Amino acid sequence: MTPSKPIPTPSEDSKPFWEATRNGELRLQRCLDCSSYRFPPGVLCPECSSTSSEWVPVSGRGRVHSFVVFHRAYHPAFANDLPYAVACVELEEGPRLLSNIVGVETARIRCDMAVEVLFEKINEEISLPKFRPRA
Amino acid sequence: MNAALRDKYAIVGVGQSRIGRVPEMSDYGLQLAAVKSALDDAGLKKQDIDGIITHSHLLGAVRVHHQRLAERLGIDTDFGLSVSSGGATSCLMVQLAAAAIEAGFCSTVLCLHGDKGLTRKSGDGHEPVQEFGPEFGMFGATAQHALGATRHMHEYGTTHDQLGAIAVAFRKHACLNPEAQMREPMTLDDYHRSRWVVWPFHLLDCCLVSDGAAAVIVTSAERARDLRQPPVFVMGMGRANNSRGWNYGNHMTELAARESGAKAFRMAGVTPADIDTAQIYDCYSYIVLASLEDYGFCKKGEGGPFVQGGRLELGGALPTNTSGGMLSEGYVEGMLQIVEATRQLRGQCGPRQVPDAQTALVSGNGGNAVCHSTLILRK
Ligand SMILES: [Zn+2]
Repeated sequence: MTPSKPIPTPSEDSKPFWEATRNGELRLQRCLDCSSYRFPPGVLCPECSSTSSEWVPVSGRGRVHSFVVFHRAYHPAFANDLPYAVACVELEEGPRLLSNIVGVETARIRCDMAVEVLFEKINEEISLPKFRPRA
Repeated sequence: MNAALRDKYAIVGVGQSRIGRVPEMSDYGLQLAAVKSALDDAGLKKQDIDGIITHSHLLGAVRVHHQRLAERLGIDTDFGLSVSSGGATSCLMVQLAAAAIEAGFCSTVLCLHGDKGLTRKSGDGHEPVQEFGPEFGMFGATAQHALGATRHMHEYGTTHDQLGAIAVAFRKHACLNPEAQMREPMTLDDYHRSRWVVWPFHLLDCCLVSDGAAAVIVTSAERARDLRQPPVFVMGMGRANNSRGWNYGNHMTELAARESGAKAFRMAGVTPADIDTAQIYDCYSYIVLASLEDYGFCKKGEGGPFVQGGRLELGGALPTNTSGGMLSEGYVEGMLQIVEATRQLRGQCGPRQVPDAQTALVSGNGGNAVCHSTLILRK
């Protein structure tokens, strides 16, 4: 039997993030007091400690802060994907998140490269936000 | 930490179990071997220990580990604590020991880490991450640290030749250490030929996995003078945490070693130029390079050229990880770094002795490179 890849289990804090990606939209939590965006999601603003926030759509544009290329499968479900890239993507709005860079050979990925989001549907509940090079 | 504490506490005993592949011994067996060796080294009886600080198991996830150890050692203590700060735990335990003695909790503290990392794997002990990583195939400490190396290469032009120089230097040292796990000579070509694990890390950029334990005994400088070994005084102690995480700000390229080191140097009243040997937490080659920059041995971004030309080797300007480090001696979560610094300052290192070593720096770095601790020791 082919093992399946881990599927995110949304927490109380991250549920709105995954609801948005399911609808093909990237949303981040923004503080209603100091307007800063944050990621990962949480009840407290790490800048001003406010507990008031809203989930707002963001551009989906960003740049590669850094990246790595896996040559070893730490999980059997990723063995067929080797070598694959995982990047720390900095969104235009500020927060950074980990994701995959797709649609480009791993050897052509560079730090600070411009990228944009796309969504990969995993099942009815979950779509993963991934990134591809942006012209 | 208060400069009034400088030289007030000392390391009086160090010990280790066999390191490497030791399938016939249990976790506690390895730990007790290290404890016994440290007690013998110090000339102390187990009843002299009234405080125990241990690293809460990375692999076994044992709760209240210090108590389990004391039970097997057969002593009651006035103070016990199990610490979890990843690779920063080693140097932090020595600092907590000094703080506990200063506070009057106890007078002589045993610090310990050890487990069967190589022959008994029961998961990596980290909390299972449920989202924002595994679904993208992001697993393990190697990839996390590799993100830092990629960014450093991008910003400062750091090369694989430079990372390789670190691995080669430490292997040379391990070849002079009969206790080391890896004693096969290694060249820069061997380094380049070793397989990619997670680019930009070759296999030989990554530390070993080991069975093993090490123990360090701390007491007051006053008491230390009556014991078997020449005391090694704790001159400086520092700690800092980049708690907003590895992905935040410039944390991938500027480690908490910067503030942790600054505090330790300030307390000790010395500068990087005064350090005769460094024992750096080398979970990955890149962490050595970045730590040396952040401690101020060279400028930020100049770590690449700094580690080349034999500077880190015995006979070089800054002999570093003289027992082989975690890259070649064995992975005991940074505890062997404290053991080696102590032995260097006592002049007990035989063919790998740094001539007339007076002052040593030891680093601990953990939680995927965001928790940091520093010790500056002198003879
Ligand atoms: Zn705020």
